Amino acid sequence: MLHRIFGLETEYGLLIHEDRPNQSPAWFAHRIRDHLFQVQRRGVLDLHHRGHDEPPGNGGFLTNAGRIYLDMGHLEYASPECHSLTDVVASDRAGDSLLQQALEELGFSEQASLIKNNIDHETDATFGSHENYLVSRRFPFSRRGLAPLVTFLVTRQIFTGSGRVGSAAPQDAWIQTDRLILPRSTFGARHVSELPFQISQRADYIVNDFFEWVQHNRAIVNTRDEPLADPNQYRRIHLLLGDSNMAEYATALKLGTTGLVLQLIEEGHAPQDLEIDEPVEALQEISQDQERRWLIQLQSQKTISALDVQERFLDCAVQHCKGQDEETDWVLAQWASVLHDLRGDYQKLVGRVDWASKLWLLECFREAEHVDWIDPMMKSLDLEYHNLNHAKGLYHGLLEEGRVPRVTTDRLIQLAMETAPKNTRAYGRSELVRHLLHERPVSAADQSPAPDGLFPPYVINWSIFQVRGHAPFPMPDPFKTYLEDVRTHLESVIV
Amino acid sequence: MKHSMMPERREGPVDPMPKSPSPEEGSGPRRPDTGSPDKDNLMKRMRKVDPKQAERYRQRTGE
Repeated sequence: MLHRIFGLETEYGLLIHEDRPNQSPAWFAHRIRDHLFQVQRRGVLDLHHRGHDEPPGNGGFLTNAGRIYLDMGHLEYASPECHSLTDVVASDRAGDSLLQQALEELGFSEQASLIKNNIDHETDATFGSHENYLVSRRFPFSRRGLAPLVTFLVTRQIFTGSGRVGSAAPQDAWIQTDRLILPRSTFGARHVSELPFQISQRADYIVNDFFEWVQHNRAIVNTRDEPLADPNQYRRIHLLLGDSNMAEYATALKLGTTGLVLQLIEEGHAPQDLEIDEPVEALQEISQDQERRWLIQLQSQKTISALDVQERFLDCAVQHCKGQDEETDWVLAQWASVLHDLRGDYQKLVGRVDWASKLWLLECFREAEHVDWIDPMMKSLDLEYHNLNHAKGLYHGLLEEGRVPRVTTDRLIQLAMETAPKNTRAYGRSELVRHLLHERPVSAADQSPAPDGLFPPYVINWSIFQVRGHAPFPMPDPFKTYLEDVRTHLESVIV
Repeated sequence: MKHSMMPERREGPVDPMPKSPSPEEGSGPRRPDTGSPDKDNLMKRMRKVDPKQAERYRQRTGE
């Protein structure tokens, strides 16, 4: 991909198989984090307050330059900065493997399962899969400039959705109307129909088109300006409407197509006549459409299908991006293939598109066992699709059966668990983490919060770090590795 | 001062990504065989799932 840095952040659910009063999901999450950092020594824990809900020891950077930490009681993994789809898929799956291996080493795999999904069916809770795309500061970040992106994002769920049984109507959402931010309940109780199945997990939880907050006000485009890089050069497009994908292929296609659409917008080639009349409503209507016609109304009053919208974006991308590099051409070919197959029997998408894989499995079970959609087993099977345990999870069952095309390999995932991409600043950060782990072991005393007024032994953030007694080391350009500079800087550190 | 050596890792596309099925062929992964679910490993996996696990799966809202 041309001049693009990708990143993925994933919050994991924890399914506890037996009710035990002293073993909550948070209890398991703490044990897994501690095992990763203190026993496996996969990285270095933060020794400073990163924020009001991130005290020292809450999480830290890994040798692969990503992060593992606890967020709102969830284990969360943030991939390192990646400059290719291959790297970001391998790095994302490395997070799955790090956590699953820790769970197994702890002997907890019969007691708990890591679930890579975004909802629970009982409480309407939701948790995220956040995408990050680095763009130029010149990117037209205005309602008008972002309109094509909104249209693309609302309609891409036809191949990026992970699917779910049922629906949700969270009442704790806040909605922006003009200058007011009002609780959703102001607009009356939302009717929830008992849907058998819908193609997106997150669509029901997105209540605004643009907004900067992330909890209770989730928007199609998050507007928080936090580039984690030189703010004069870069902006970070942070998207939280997507589902966690189990299929490597869906992850690559989601990030690849979105990256190309951002390029079209940056270069002024995105289609401009596809503005959706009510994008938030359209997002949910597409997800919930049981006939999968996926029709939406444009501001021009024209009705068009999500498939036709995606074809328009694909045509523009082929016209302007084809041939620029190998990954772009892969994305364009697979985008065309998936859109073509979506016009026919959805079963052709099994293995490539998560909602299609899940729907097929559920339909097979219903047919064999003569159960209805309202049977509690359907929600339990929905969860099991996302189980990271290879011996149990239904996605991993599909993989074992050879029904899933791979985009990466087990060897690359194994490598990505330990090492950073060599062509971004993640490489330099990885060198720092290794240095702190191996050349300057942190004593037990060092792992305690620094007393007031005393700088901790180190502070690491995405775009800067500082080792005690030395000047801060900024890393404002995600495209630079900073490797030699980091080595030189560390050699001057007095232990 | 020594620095730990990182294992070699290729950048960019490594193994070729899956070949694109041409839209005309309408191919893709082979169509799932739904013929004999009793002999299917996937059906065995599904039958082992605890029907009440979704009821127990109560998470906090995140972000």
